[in-house]
Amino acid sequence: MNPWLYSAISGFIVLNAVIGMVTYVTLLERKFAARMQSRIGPYRVGPHGLLQPIADALKLMMKEDIVPRLADRRVFNLAPIVFLVPCMLIFATIPFAPGLGVADLNIGLLFFLAVSSMEIVGLFMAGWGSNNKYALLSAMRAVNQIISYDLPFIFAALVPVLLAGSLKLSDIAAAQSGLWFVFYPVIGQLAFLAFVVSTLAAENRVPFDILEAESELVAGFRVEYSGMKFALIQLGEYAHVIGSSFLGAILFLGAWAGPGPEWLGPLWMLLKAMFLFLLITWVRWSFVRIRVDQILTLSWKVLMPATLLLLVSTAIVVVWRAGV
Amino acid sequence: MSKPNPNSPVAVIRAVAKAMWITFLNLFRKPVTVHYPDQERKYPDRYRGLLALVYEKDTGEEACIGCRLCEYVCPPAVIKVEMLKSEKRNYAKSFSLELYACEFCELCVQVCPTDAIVMMKSFDLATADRREMLLDKDRLHAIGLQYQQSWATGNLLRAMQGPPKMARPEEAHAAKPAGSEA
Repeated sequence: MNPWLYSAISGFIVLNAVIGMVTYVTLLERKFAARMQSRIGPYRVGPHGLLQPIADALKLMMKEDIVPRLADRRVFNLAPIVFLVPCMLIFATIPFAPGLGVADLNIGLLFFLAVSSMEIVGLFMAGWGSNNKYALLSAMRAVNQIISYDLPFIFAALVPVLLAGSLKLSDIAAAQSGLWFVFYPVIGQLAFLAFVVSTLAAENRVPFDILEAESELVAGFRVEYSGMKFALIQLGEYAHVIGSSFLGAILFLGAWAGPGPEWLGPLWMLLKAMFLFLLITWVRWSFVRIRVDQILTLSWKVLMPATLLLLVSTAIVVVWRAGV
Repeated sequence: MSKPNPNSPVAVIRAVAKAMWITFLNLFRKPVTVHYPDQERKYPDRYRGLLALVYEKDTGEEACIGCRLCEYVCPPAVIKVEMLKSEKRNYAKSFSLELYACEFCELCVQVCPTDAIVMMKSFDLATADRREMLLDKDRLHAIGLQYQQSWATGNLLRAMQGPPKMARPEEAHAAKPAGSEA
């Protein structure tokens, strides 16, 4: 098939699948969170609330689109798109099964890491363009936090790269057909832990959610957004979380490896990604928000040296095993 | 032996594990939610809900004698009563109750000499128009027939709060929560 045509069609399918997934992942999160608080969660719209995401989407589409009078209109209107594009682009390199993906680049992981930290540009545009002190505070905190946590995130993600000897995501997945990297003695567990913690921080989820700190900054950088623009920002955030979950599933949980015939691969992949997503949600409902200085201390004084050390020792282990 | 440092890595990891364990256990507990419009919670015996006027059980007449005691005692002054003089007993010519300002203190029920005004086991009077909450005599009687009556009536409450008397068989029977004499 014509490679251009293939890219266009597969990209279109993945994009729509991601959007559909985001809408239903919100329901999953709400149900899961509700059960942790002894509630039921959405229940009224459709059987057991199954149509709730659709109702939410319709509601957001029909809402009035408000632009504050003193906002920087161009920046304000452009920000959701700049925010959304990188969040969607990260799905480009993810192989959902052997040979099933938009573009399995030989530097797939690097592409993922580079693009996923681009969202900060849109985020800061949203905070700056809103001309709102809360939004601006939130955006500055976000820049601060995401820059701090991208390094541990990258170091933790590089451990599987060293173990597999490739930056290509499908190679990393294939290298785990015997032993998932999360079960690799000591190194695997520590790297997975560091990966989960820095994912939480990079996604600005509780307990690292100082940028939308409900009780002080209302909704953070998206406080002035309404209607479809708000929906785009939410879509981007959830897409980013799901993308990171898929990345975690590929790097540590063996991607599509699992019992059963080969065509069950994508299903296993999805299950593992959802497991990671629920892990993130679980953490969210278990902890309180921690202070800014604690967040930065955790990043620069604990996670950074620890992941760096881990990376070096992984390299030594890999060389040692190859030598023997 | 000194107290363990709460910031030590071991203490932090234990705290994290404990918090996650609690939420994990909660995941498998039954939700406490009551599906309200489909299921109603069981009301307590002495529920202070909507106010209503009732009829006398034996004669079927209106129990209210228009004595205006409830009007005098009402703290937010939402009750307005006019008395209709009659031969054998008096009646309420009009009886209006502004439920939107009512504070559900139950004082009117406590003072009613004929157990005419009572509270119902319901709070279900949501409306979009405040004027619908201005209850007249007919409406109050209708509410009295519509819902289940709460235990408290004037005579029962006074019997409960008065000085202890020699227990006679019929009074001991009347003070029981189950026997409502409306």
